[in-house]
Amino acid sequence: MSGEVLLDVQKVSMAFGGLKALTDFSLQICRGDLQGLIGPNGAGKTTAFNVLTGVYLPTEGAVMVGSERINGRRPHEINRLGVARTFQNIRLFKQLTVLDNIRIAIAAESSGGFDAVRLQRLKHGPLPSRLFGTALEALNNYRDWWRACLLTPGFLREEVRITAKADELLQVMGLAHRRDELAKNLPYGEQRRLEIARALGTKPKVLLLDEPAAGMNTREKADLMVLIRQLRTQFELGVLVIEHDMKLVMGICEKLTVLDHGETISTGAPATVRADPKVIEAYLGEAPAHA
Amino acid sequence: MAVLAVLQFALKSQPFYANLACLVGVNVVLAVSLNVINGMTGQFSIGHAGFMAAGAYCSGMLSIGLKDYKVGFLGDGVSDQLFLVIALLAGGAFAGLCGFVVGLPSLRLKGDYLAIVTLGFGEIIRVVVQNSNALGGALGLSTIPQTGSVFMVWFWVFVVVLFARRLAFSPHGRNLWAIREDEIAAEAMGVDTTAYKVRSFVASSFFAGIAGGLFAHFVPLISPGQFTFVRSMEIVVMVVAGGLGSTTGAVVAAVFLTLLPEGLRTVFQNLGGADSSLASKVDQIRMPIYGVLLVVIMLTRPQGIFGTAEAWDLFGKKKQQKPVGP
Repeated sequence: MSGEVLLDVQKVSMAFGGLKALTDFSLQICRGDLQGLIGPNGAGKTTAFNVLTGVYLPTEGAVMVGSERINGRRPHEINRLGVARTFQNIRLFKQLTVLDNIRIAIAAESSGGFDAVRLQRLKHGPLPSRLFGTALEALNNYRDWWRACLLTPGFLREEVRITAKADELLQVMGLAHRRDELAKNLPYGEQRRLEIARALGTKPKVLLLDEPAAGMNTREKADLMVLIRQLRTQFELGVLVIEHDMKLVMGICEKLTVLDHGETISTGAPATVRADPKVIEAYLGEAPAHA
Repeated sequence: MAVLAVLQFALKSQPFYANLACLVGVNVVLAVSLNVINGMTGQFSIGHAGFMAAGAYCSGMLSIGLKDYKVGFLGDGVSDQLFLVIALLAGGAFAGLCGFVVGLPSLRLKGDYLAIVTLGFGEIIRVVVQNSNALGGALGLSTIPQTGSVFMVWFWVFVVVLFARRLAFSPHGRNLWAIREDEIAAEAMGVDTTAYKVRSFVASSFFAGIAGGLFAHFVPLISPGQFTFVRSMEIVVMVVAGGLGSTTGAVVAAVFLTLLPEGLRTVFQNLGGADSSLASKVDQIRMPIYGVLLVVIMLTRPQGIFGTAEAWDLFGKKKQQKPVGP
């Protein structure tokens, strides 16, 4: 199943000084895709994620989200364009409640009366339009303050809407019973699920999951596989998963990209990739000459 | 409001207590506004006295300039208060502008740069004032009309507390909490961290400017010596002692720490007679006392007296969720 191309990575390279962390990395994610990105430790998987989400500025190549070139955009802008991610080492807002964690994501997607994407286009245009965009944004913000301080009906309605949406997401992710607990008090597996829920709150088109199953037991992993598949269909997402657990990756991904030392050594369906001698070599070492 | 009016009336014949009430109010405004940036957003600013000075001198000069004007059809008192509000807003706006200029470059970065820059800003403002004759130089400014009142000060206390409280429960405030918790995650979730940090810093400086303006209008003399780094630290101590992120904590700590020297003075006077040397030295031993107090609080309750809890959490508001647990 392939729909429109949501995320198009074109020959991206990322070098830190003399270290080439990523070389000529290309990838296309379409609506409804479920792809995996695998490779041994230090292969550049997380670097690839950081390039896609604007944490790093790639040294070469282009990353396209829809028709926008996002090189040099800030992470929050890329998020607004529809790319959300989770983190390898969980980064929840620990001292906030589960509900607030998600409400933050939802509000960021909906805040203000102006269309976020159009505002962004203004802010990246020539100088006059940039100034105009900034002024609009500031106005917007002062209106938000005003409305929050006076508790205007519009503000309250918005709060109710945000909360309702957050509750809906909690329901989907099976976290409804944890709604008012602090995020830090959740068990590990649920923290991972909350991270995914929070990412979904920003209304993404593409979801990037960085080792979502790390630290989970077999049972939780199986549940997670089902969940990821379900989310893909329910929210019509393109999903890209980084994962170490081969069983999980081979089980759910329709296409794999294998990285080693920053270079793409193999792509294709799981079965093809698994049989690729280059992949076997990267994971298990070179086959002995006499074998 | 009515309470304030009664208070104003009751304190009219008690200039000492009226003055004290004003001072307490000013400190509450300062602590609550600093809490917005230090506690809620988690960006450490240690130059609040600088913004206070900016507001104090700006509104003070404006008041001096407008001294001889009156709005004819209003009574003298009303017209005075009107001009006072205008001067306060001007002072606040000027301090906010300073906050914008200071905050924009330093809040783009992550980490402790803001502390360094605000520290520098506080000193710059002080030195500039000290060396400019138009602002009274080191001698200070003593011709500002004394139009301030308990009512006016506590009205602004009400405004700033309302602002801080409503902000904490709005999407805007939640984004600030998010930045405090994890900046990288907040940014990845679509929060424009720089913009939010700058905005909360500007709001914080605006209210510091208001506090400075209020201060300038009831203290007979303002001089650069009142806006030193020590003053900034006093406010930081209030916020930290009250609990970073708790508006209630900031209010309580500001009230307590402002009254503490006065209380001590009375105690020492009772112990050692009117000319007790300890009583006259309260102002000097105040800082060591703050220091000891802070150490004790950090040892026994590192999250501050209130942590991040708020007084209104007790009145079970069902609709609004507490942003942070105790």
